[in-house]
Amino acid sequence: MKKKLVAVLLTATMALSLAACGGKDGGGSSDGSGGEQYYNTYLQTEPSTLDSIKGNDNYSRGILINTMEPLTRLVEKDGEQIREAAGAESWESNEDGTVWTFKIRDNKWSDGQEVTAADYAYGITQTLNPDAGSPNSFFTSSFIKNGSKVVNGEASVEELGVKAVDDKTLEITLEAPTPYFMSLTDTRACYPVRQDIAEKYGETYGSEAENFVGNGPFKIDSWVHNSEITLVKNENYWDADNVKLDKVHYAIINDETAVFNSFDSGQLDYCSTGSEEWVERFEKKEGVDRIDAVIPSMRFDFFNVNDELFSNLNVRKAFVLAVDREDMAKTIYQDMHIPAFWWVPQAVSTGELGDYRDQVEGPLEKISKEEDAKELLLKGMEELGLGNDPSQITVKYSLSATTQWARNYGEYVQQKYKDILGVNIELDFNEWSTFQQKTNSGEYQMGNMTWSTDYDDPMSMISLFTTENASNIPTNWSNEEFDSLIAQAGKEMDEAKRVEFYAQAEQILFNEGCNICPLVNEMQHIFRYSYVKNVDEKFTSTSGSKYIYIEGR
Amino acid sequence: MAKFIAKRVGYMLLTLFIVITATFFLMHSIPGDPLAHMARNLPEQTRENYYEKYGLDKSTAEQYVIFMKNLITKGEMGESLRYPGREVTDTLMTNSAVSAKPGGLALVVGLVIGILLGIVAALNKNKWPDYIVMFIAILGITVPVFVLASVLQYIFSVKLMVLPTTGWGSWKNIVIPVVVLSFGTIATYARYVKSNMLDVMGQDYILTAEAKGVSRFNVVKSHVLKNAFLPCMTLLVGQVSGIFTGSFVVEKIFGIPGLGFYYINSINDRDYTMIIGTTIFAAALFVFVQLMVDIAYSLMDPRIRVK
Repeated sequence: MKKKLVAVLLTATMALSLAACGGKDGGGSSDGSGGEQYYNTYLQTEPSTLDSIKGNDNYSRGILINTMEPLTRLVEKDGEQIREAAGAESWESNEDGTVWTFKIRDNKWSDGQEVTAADYAYGITQTLNPDAGSPNSFFTSSFIKNGSKVVNGEASVEELGVKAVDDKTLEITLEAPTPYFMSLTDTRACYPVRQDIAEKYGETYGSEAENFVGNGPFKIDSWVHNSEITLVKNENYWDADNVKLDKVHYAIINDETAVFNSFDSGQLDYCSTGSEEWVERFEKKEGVDRIDAVIPSMRFDFFNVNDELFSNLNVRKAFVLAVDREDMAKTIYQDMHIPAFWWVPQAVSTGELGDYRDQVEGPLEKISKEEDAKELLLKGMEELGLGNDPSQITVKYSLSATTQWARNYGEYVQQKYKDILGVNIELDFNEWSTFQQKTNSGEYQMGNMTWSTDYDDPMSMISLFTTENASNIPTNWSNEEFDSLIAQAGKEMDEAKRVEFYAQAEQILFNEGCNICPLVNEMQHIFRYSYVKNVDEKFTSTSGSKYIYIEGR
Repeated sequence: MAKFIAKRVGYMLLTLFIVITATFFLMHSIPGDPLAHMARNLPEQTRENYYEKYGLDKSTAEQYVIFMKNLITKGEMGESLRYPGREVTDTLMTNSAVSAKPGGLALVVGLVIGILLGIVAALNKNKWPDYIVMFIAILGITVPVFVLASVLQYIFSVKLMVLPTTGWGSWKNIVIPVVVLSFGTIATYARYVKSNMLDVMGQDYILTAEAKGVSRFNVVKSHVLKNAFLPCMTLLVGQVSGIFTGSFVVEKIFGIPGLGFYYINSINDRDYTMIIGTTIFAAALFVFVQLMVDIAYSLMDPRIRVK
């Protein structure tokens, strides 16, 4: 926190000094374009497509946030996040919050065409159209009127609660009041898509730089598959005056060492690392800022409630409480991530009330003090009629990786469960696709995964365990009281009451569920050259590179 | 000769057919499918549409028939399942051309240096040049490519800052990859040429030539080299086809947008069309080069000429 404050102060003073010495000519451009207003960053993997409807990977997300103009953007001002008008100039809802009207701003696509409400309506509708096969329908299907029906082919797309009233007015009708609806307006499920361009290119829309148009602060200049993507400033953009960068260059680098070497030699302005070794190396480097931030992402184990052993609540609770989270964070993650005693991660906020975790204590903190893992296990075994010898129990632990790291991790877990509960763990390493297949079909006992929020509200994480959404993390657990609390939270317009519903639901998740076992809350460790200014640091911010500028490269 | 070639082409097609069929059924038998790769679970209707669109709702046998029909009649392999909108054939063409640049250069460099070193070593058997060459050869075979690549990248890009770490487009981008890729070739050929030369030099006809008073230079030039190079051509088959299929490791480290990436990742992604496409490409290339080498063999060496 302190580090961040310093960074903000620094940025502020730099901005002032920039104003004072305006017109300073920056040299050292690598491309000969004259200015220094370029930002070199990277993607670990090639984006699958730039079609916001078909793709769902993080890599294309980073490109799209810069090349598309969502209805709104979550922007940091003086360290606080605010929702800024972007593609929509203004918006309002009717009294009960079920009909939202967005006034679309005068803006142009990169090919010069006017942006209309119909472009946004088309993007939102296609995401829910089962014929388009979008993996992003889950964002909006349960909120927009008739969304679930449309996505399941029970209603036609015309019946969807989305319409362009006129060229500049977009109207979205919801199933019920949704307090956090606005936080969905900057997700890819609500991006505009030009129907004429999408239909012209058909299957190949978004697969090449040429087969794509955007309406964001930058436009795509070139895309060499698996090598690099170059964005240049979009002169047609409505707010082009406030876009300082002329160019954003993404190198696509799969290899970790190559990323760090590139950063070290100044060919990248930024890098992110989860390894202690590199953190130590870059910390000694001059002219580099280190930014550590908790991100809304959880690493956790999950249990198959249909499995004979894990059908018992006490057994599951024993496995959850047996984990020494502090030790794990230290030994396995070398303090790169923080121990997690909760399901809703830190860095998720609830409207004006701020970070949810600042308001609600992690449920496991209390439970782990009150109950003993070994006792719970023995009690559970007795209930199941399995005797009282934990060493007779063998649990198959399925992991979704086959790397050396996964093997070390597996051995650690094996040893810890042996020491604390006395049970045997059989390790089962899988490739991701195999892992998905196994867990989805319920052929597992205990698995390990990572999950990050999709939008900035606790709902994004907590609603994963309602009966309706159970297939995401297939634990087969279901609880009526939990479902009803989530349903109430989804409609509650009062922030404080909503937080209360979430807190109760999260408590039930651990008191009666324990179908998941949170391990660590992820952090990101970013290194960036100090000449890069005005970057929004929060993971959930959606300003992209819009406000970044370079000074003193 | 024509009969020989026709027969070999026939075998080639048979080999390809077996490779395609085996790969097709093998890849469909690994657990998981392209959808499982995507983290989210699609709604039922969307999932059905997706399977239908790519024909994954049909049985493996039916899919096989459709695939073979398209391949034979239209030469089409379909669209990548992982990267929507990209034709597999396009990817193969574009990316193999990229791989061929550093790969081809590395092969030429490796061959020239490797053969020269091999000759030097053979002619100076058990003297210091021989020891130095053999030291380099052992190094080249034992040091893993990724170690050499990382070390060179660190020295030339981070410390000396004379070459870029990753990227594609400038000649500077392929300097280190060429060095790295050619190192193994140098080592292989140096050893191989040396042992072949020594083998040939022990033959009776060399003794005859020397007895006739032919100078050492002419003995080596006209009798030793040609005979010593012949077996090297067998090695060349794998390497020439390897040029186009690229090196996964080197391309990854230096960010070269070659074909190597797709060989590994298509399998992890269960990108069926890409798996089969890359396999066909590699297999076809291999049997084709094999044929070329066989023809070259029979031209150069009358002993192997086919009846």
